[in-house]
Amino acid sequence: MSETSKLLEKWLKAEEFIIVGKSIDRVDAIDKVTGKAKFMEDYTIPGMLYAKIVMSNEAHAKIRMINLEHALKIPGVVRIITAKDIPGENQAGYALPDQPLLAEGKVRYHGEPIAIIVAENPEAAVIAASELNIEYDPLPTLLDPLESMNRRDILIHEETGSNIAFTTKVRRGDVSKGFQKSDVIVENEYKTQHQEHLYLETEGALAIPEIGGTYTVMSCAQYPHLAQAITARILGLPTNKIRIIQPYIGGGFGGKDDTGPLVAAQAALASHLTGKPVLLIYSREESFRIHCKREQSIIRYKSGATANGILTAIDVKIIMDAGAYANRGPFILWRATMHASGPYYVENAKVDGYCVYTNKVYQGSFRGFGNPDIQFAVESQMDEIAKELGLDPLDVRLKNILKPGMTTMTGQLLDESVGVGKALMMLAEKADWRKKRKMYENEKGRYRKGIGLACGWHGISTSRGVPDWSNAIVKVSKDGGVEVYTGITEIGQGTPTTAHVQIVSEILGIPLEYITIHFGTTDAPDTGATHASRGASIGAIGVLIAAAKVRERLATLASEILQCNPEELKFENGKIYSKNDPEKSLKWKDLVNEAFNRGVELSSTGYFYLPKGKFDHEIGQGYAYPAYSYIINIAEVEVDMETGIVKVTRMWPAIASGRIINPKAVEGQIEGAIAQGIGLALMEKVEFDNKGAIINPNLTDYIVPTAMDMPKVEKPIFVEDLFRYGPFGAKGVGEMALIPTPAAIANAVAHAIGKRIFELPLTPEKVYFKIMEGRICQK
Amino acid sequence: MALFYQIPKLNYHKPKNLNEALKLLKELGDAKPIAGGTDLMVDMKIGRVKTRNLIDISDLREIRKIEFHKDSIIIGAAVTLQEIINNERIRREIPILVEAAENLGSWQIRNVATIGGNICNASPAADMAPPLLILNSKLKLSSINGDRVIPLEKFFKGPRQTELMVDELLTEIIVPRESCNAGMKFIKIGRRRAHTLSIVAVAVAVRTMEDKIEYVRIALNSIAPTPIRAYKTEEELIGSRVNEVEGKVKKLIEEIKPISDVRSSAEYRREMAVKITIDALKMSIENWRCKEK
Ligand SMILES: Cc1cc2nc3c(=O)[nH]c(=O)nc-3n(C[C@H](O)[C@H](O)[C@H](O)COP(=O)(O)OP(=O)(O)OC[C@H]3O[C@@H](n4cnc5c(N)ncnc54)[C@H](O)[C@@H]3O)c2cc1C
Repeated sequence: MSETSKLLEKWLKAEEFIIVGKSIDRVDAIDKVTGKAKFMEDYTIPGMLYAKIVMSNEAHAKIRMINLEHALKIPGVVRIITAKDIPGENQAGYALPDQPLLAEGKVRYHGEPIAIIVAENPEAAVIAASELNIEYDPLPTLLDPLESMNRRDILIHEETGSNIAFTTKVRRGDVSKGFQKSDVIVENEYKTQHQEHLYLETEGALAIPEIGGTYTVMSCAQYPHLAQAITARILGLPTNKIRIIQPYIGGGFGGKDDTGPLVAAQAALASHLTGKPVLLIYSREESFRIHCKREQSIIRYKSGATANGILTAIDVKIIMDAGAYANRGPFILWRATMHASGPYYVENAKVDGYCVYTNKVYQGSFRGFGNPDIQFAVESQMDEIAKELGLDPLDVRLKNILKPGMTTMTGQLLDESVGVGKALMMLAEKADWRKKRKMYENEKGRYRKGIGLACGWHGISTSRGVPDWSNAIVKVSKDGGVEVYTGITEIGQGTPTTAHVQIVSEILGIPLEYITIHFGTTDAPDTGATHASRGASIGAIGVLIAAAKVRERLATLASEILQCNPEELKFENGKIYSKNDPEKSLKWKDLVNEAFNRGVELSSTGYFYLPKGKFDHEIGQGYAYPAYSYIINIAEVEVDMETGIVKVTRMWPAIASGRIINPKAVEGQIEGAIAQGIGLALMEKVEFDNKGAIINPNLTDYIVPTAMDMPKVEKPIFVEDLFRYGPFGAKGVGEMALIPTPAAIANAVAHAIGKRIFELPLTPEKVYFKIMEGRICQK
Repeated sequence: MALFYQIPKLNYHKPKNLNEALKLLKELGDAKPIAGGTDLMVDMKIGRVKTRNLIDISDLREIRKIEFHKDSIIIGAAVTLQEIINNERIRREIPILVEAAENLGSWQIRNVATIGGNICNASPAADMAPPLLILNSKLKLSSINGDRVIPLEKFFKGPRQTELMVDELLTEIIVPRESCNAGMKFIKIGRRRAHTLSIVAVAVAVRTMEDKIEYVRIALNSIAPTPIRAYKTEEELIGSRVNEVEGKVKKLIEEIKPISDVRSSAEYRREMAVKITIDALKMSIENWRCKEK
């Protein structure tokens, strides 16, 4: 076993903790509530220029001409940048190299960036952007993925020969045999919608030319090293010329994982071509129109089960609207495909996925990453099976739930860390599920209660054999101060300001004030992105290992000084002492000083490469993810049968995501995810007109839940099903509670009104007409 | 600094008193009064309103007052919605205004948004319009040449179009005391539980005598180009028995013209207009009975 693996295992097996598992306040809390914390807009530089994006007003068109002359004459305008000015490669695609930074030759969605205006003041940039003359030759547009996937006469990317960007598949057993064995078959079509991230702070970047032909880009990206790589590619420079740093970020949710790096590249491009610092911040409307959205999905789902509720087969077809560019679409589809069984055992499975180009704003990362869509289908199916069989939906789930030692639908053995069954039982008990489920069945009045249950699971790390690693630098100064460099970002979730400081504090036994985390920067080694719920799990392994290496060295030194065995040493409260003889003790600061005097290195990296297996695309079987986090939500709703208005009254969450490093931080993530899930379930939807333009790109028309829409969220149940590679066994939390929220609410609504709606969001209107369906028309 | 949009250069005037404001309005010719600015600033940002002169009327003492007279209650146009909510006498004597105000926007908005601005903006979705309509409110429109008083029903001409002349200011909203003597209810359906524009809202005022409706006022928003009184439905209801209201309110469908938009389909608006009118009627009747006791 390597040194790093040994260190991981040592701390995984730790039995006592000083600060891990405690609800400490995040170290940025005071600054944030007092308004001291600085965000992009708070940074200005003398002589800085302002950039503004010119967006396409066509969804699919050839760009015949861009006439700069008039706009360049507007006083204050310094430069107008188009694709042909890009010194490097005009390529910003993620999964596939299909996406330009600035449209070249043609536009593929309404809102696509075409040019960057750079001006001495924002007013000039705004005027020039509205007056830039662009002439188009419109092409026929494809907005419906179902149509687009069957058309070859209109191609959104000509070079591909098809509008299907990517396909996925899983095959296990024999589904037709599975259906033959079943006593009941349930088959339905589910639809989910485009959702907007709606971060409080829109995208932005500030690019500053520095000495030696380098650039510092203050960026809002969720992955500084990706922002660096894309910026370098656009500028035609090696990555070492680009340094990414970040201020506090006002929310990311995945949108800034995808669009953040592009905005960094746009600002850097403007800075490179003008030689001046450039600030680029998207307005709310620009943010709406330009950046990726949660994908729209159409899911056809057929399940078979025996009379006592055991799943015998599933046959699933997933069609996702990729929008104009592949971006993360293939990965989102892949994730949805691999999670298509839900956290259940099923012997026969057939899943096919299609990621389809259309002329709409492209899809992208959004908390849950394809999983809320598919779990909405899975968990609705579970309830429908229960209904057909006259069983309690809880029992149908318990009969099929994954347990340690079982294999997933892709044939992967789950040898550890499967706490979902336990969490489900505990949660049902806590919510008094069986009693409420029966009681609400008999509601007769105008306001009817319902209770619904949904499970979710979420693969940890990147999929298949796609490399994933962690890293960080820890360095200790002579006075005992500790600095950590990590690429993990602070986007409101608080990972660097809770979990990371706690990990370092725990391992080195020092107070929080001794520790500073430098986050979101390429000054740190590549740490991977702050996405996929990995900041405090995979993303923090590096922090743990780097700190643990320093501790080992200090322990050896201390044992020499104190004349004892390093294994009997405790590091606590800035002191190092022998647990057998507490008299033998040293102050942290003195020990550090000794290390400097005696030549012991107190800086370290924490590289760790995650061991993985392989997935065989031909046979649709294999290794999908190193482990899964699990989540269960029980939702209670009250439906006004006369208006269709759904009020979510209570939510009970349970999570099995390994070690909980900071319970309060996790509760915050759960509550936030539930709020966003309620938005997806009940009200949020990006609407397009028949030309592909978003018709609600503002806060008047696009609505998200308010504090008044939030239910009472009960304290979560934690099942700490440790994951062998997680720091102290942590698996990841950030996305989890969103995943089953739409399904739990939809199930509760179906329970309350006695009918199911298969399409999100469950607006008052949709619920009302569903209730009225079949009733005599009174008009 | 406006980073994201451009508002053409304009002159900002802050008159010291009403008279000065009216003079300016006359002299400048193309000026726009600004009260809370919660509608106007948005309109200027999106370019729906273009003006070279703004006259700030938010601090004019003469129109930021609430007076209780023998026959009427006078609410100055520049009174903010939060001031209405906080006014104990309004809460006691015209609770329906408080109900409507509490449902409008958010606390931050209500702290600056004025009742006059809500009416003068003449949005089809104006939430203060239905309660003021059922209260038979009158508006005092003032110019440097004098005042005129018109009923609120006559004020709305279309979406964002009113009876106001360019040199006129809405100065007072006059609520006749006798209109307050009724059972009332305001109901609004929105897309979420707070901070939402209406899909449809209704205000109802009722008096009954021996289980028969002897006085009724119904007004709605978001189902026509302007907020409207439902005259035909009112007529239908007069004299009918309390237990017959449900059937009679069906008449409403004939006098509303809802459209489909981002917030709702026309069909849903139509059905909800009827439902909440029935609900509001029943609750108003209940409120009237309590009041009579
Ligand atoms: C976030 C948000 C939420 C909102 N929610 C709601 C809601 O739920 N329901 C709702 O009805 N509205 C809502 N509004 C709209 C708005 O807040 C209200 O209509 C408000 O009452 C307008 O008042 P104001 O003082 O801000 O008007 P202003 O914006 O100052 O003025 C509006 C218009 O009226 C004119 N005007 C103002 N006062 C006078 C006067 N005394 N004489 C002549 N003309 C005048 C102005 O010139 C302008 O044309 C919302 C607005 C925002 C920004």
